[in-house]
Amino acid sequence: MPETKATNGGELDAWAFNSIFELVPFSIAIIDRDYNVVKANNNFASYFGEWRDKKCYAVYKKLNAPCPHCTIRDVFADGQPRVNDVDGIDQYGRKAHYIGHCAPLRPDGRGRVDYVVEMSLDVTGTGMWQQEYQILFDRVPCYITVIDEDYCIVRANESFRENFGDVLGRHCYEMYKRRKTRCANCPAAKTFKDGRVHHSEHQGTGKRGQKIHYAVSTSPLIRDSDRVAHVIEICNDITEQKKLEHEVIEAERLAAVGQTVAGLAHSIKNILMGLEGGKYIVSLGLQKNDKDLVSQGWEMLERNFDKTTTLVKDFLSFSKGRLPKLVMVDPRTLVDEIVDLYKDVAAKSGIELKAEPDDGIKPAPLDPDGIHTCLTNLVSNAIDACLMGEQKGSLVTIRVRENRDVLVFEVTDNGCGMDYEIKKKIFTTFFTTKGGGGTGLGLLTTRKIVQEHGGKIIVDSQKGKGARFRMEFPRARLKSLYLESEEETEGD
Amino acid sequence: MADKSKKTVLVVDDEADVRNFLKAALMEAGFDVILASDGFEALEAVEKHVPDLISLDLVMPRKSGIKFYHDLAKNKTWSKIPIIIVTGHARDDLGKSDLRELTMSGPGIYLEKPVKPHNYIAAIKKLLGMETTPDENESAEQVRMQNELKNIIDNADPDTLRKLKELIEKKSGGR
Repeated sequence: MPETKATNGGELDAWAFNSIFELVPFSIAIIDRDYNVVKANNNFASYFGEWRDKKCYAVYKKLNAPCPHCTIRDVFADGQPRVNDVDGIDQYGRKAHYIGHCAPLRPDGRGRVDYVVEMSLDVTGTGMWQQEYQILFDRVPCYITVIDEDYCIVRANESFRENFGDVLGRHCYEMYKRRKTRCANCPAAKTFKDGRVHHSEHQGTGKRGQKIHYAVSTSPLIRDSDRVAHVIEICNDITEQKKLEHEVIEAERLAAVGQTVAGLAHSIKNILMGLEGGKYIVSLGLQKNDKDLVSQGWEMLERNFDKTTTLVKDFLSFSKGRLPKLVMVDPRTLVDEIVDLYKDVAAKSGIELKAEPDDGIKPAPLDPDGIHTCLTNLVSNAIDACLMGEQKGSLVTIRVRENRDVLVFEVTDNGCGMDYEIKKKIFTTFFTTKGGGGTGLGLLTTRKIVQEHGGKIIVDSQKGKGARFRMEFPRARLKSLYLESEEETEGD
Repeated sequence: MADKSKKTVLVVDDEADVRNFLKAALMEAGFDVILASDGFEALEAVEKHVPDLISLDLVMPRKSGIKFYHDLAKNKTWSKIPIIIVTGHARDDLGKSDLRELTMSGPGIYLEKPVKPHNYIAAIKKLLGMETTPDENESAEQVRMQNELKNIIDNADPDTLRKLKELIEKKSGGR
């Protein structure tokens, strides 16, 4: 810039002032005490239009008289600069949203303010973004709340307020669940602690007392910081899905009831047939004075009365309440109990029964009565299978293992085994291969209990080659069922 | 089996109590009886001695009644043996389709457990074209009608049933 160097200081000041006056990304206007715009830059002209010989209110807002709350007048009055968020009208008559910085100008250096300079920054675009963001925040089909470290809601979107009510200064647990204390398994607490995103499902209560199911994800409101001061909770309303799920389960249950009744009817018919037969043979024996026939018929009657007892017992355990009562137990003690219970029975039939629990199996939340029933059924089946098989040296083994966070109970026998036809039917019907000895409910009950624990039962068998029944319980499922049941008892 | 006038019935059922019951009733009525506890044993029995009639259960472990029936159908002599079905599965998923196949293509007579001894004997005598006592005759006729009615209702489509119901209601209402 050779020219600049040639000029003296005063000329440089004037040149620099003019250049900057035009270059700054503001619309600048200098206004006198009579609201006249006395000087403005090109930015100003291209934003608000022609300004020469015009009053500021005419240029900024296209008005005929000074604005009711005039910032410029205030600056003239007390000499203090001000910043305002202002709505005006641009040269094309469109709404102009700008931040106006008004500062006093004192040509004599101090004392009286002769002019005010107003530097305006157009934020029309930014304002729209803000508005759009606000609409997005309010209308997005989620409930969104921002909470502080005291679990007070500092912001909530419209969807939330419509369904849960006004939030000002209320705690999130009051609003979501109408509670007076924090929830036991609060996902926000985890986020405050570790700064990570957490997901979970909950049931809350709306402002009209309606039940609302929601899936919430909690995330910190800041990035890359050690301390989380606010957490944002974004909730998806899954009430409808839950309702549908419930209907499906209900329909399945009805179908199961139908199947159950049909199976029960069949079991009863079989017992009746036995009773009918016993009755007939007894009366035949009496008629002929044949003592052997009488005692044969009488045994038949006794056997079928016993069957009734077994059926009722099995049926009651099959129809028992749906939710397992989970408590922390050592899986090995459950197995030991079964071995103690069946050891003598097995030994009498020449069958060895033994437990082989792995080392280091941790306690797990299980329903001890339920698992007891399952193991009882599996072990008594295994013993029966050994009796039906031709293998010498019959052996029934109960193992407890841990396989990649899955707790496994395994009952293995070297008895008669099953072919495909039988394997297909064992869980789905009241099928029994034990003739009079079975009700066809044992494995069905076992499967039901295992499923209630969030687990599954797998059978592995070949005809003549024994069988292995494996109950698998993923620990994660057990844990969440455990937490759910805890929350439920707490909620009651 | 020396007495040629005596007819032989093969009783196939997986439950010992049922087998013994039917055996007692049959012997009392003057039949010779062979017992089998599943389809395999039944087939062995037929190979040894062709019975005059087979009393068959449907749902049994190892070899079911329908499988045994299919085996019989493959043999010219065996396929002519009259069969009476005695089952507890006439109305459930385990036996319904098997029973339908059997009643459509085969013997057509079935008794639902529990059976009364004289009904059972009467139905068997009827099948074998034997003379029945008046008592048995009455129960045989009853069984036949019950079966016919059951068959009609089981095979009727819901529309016809509804029309029938309306018809009956109209008749009784129009008195």
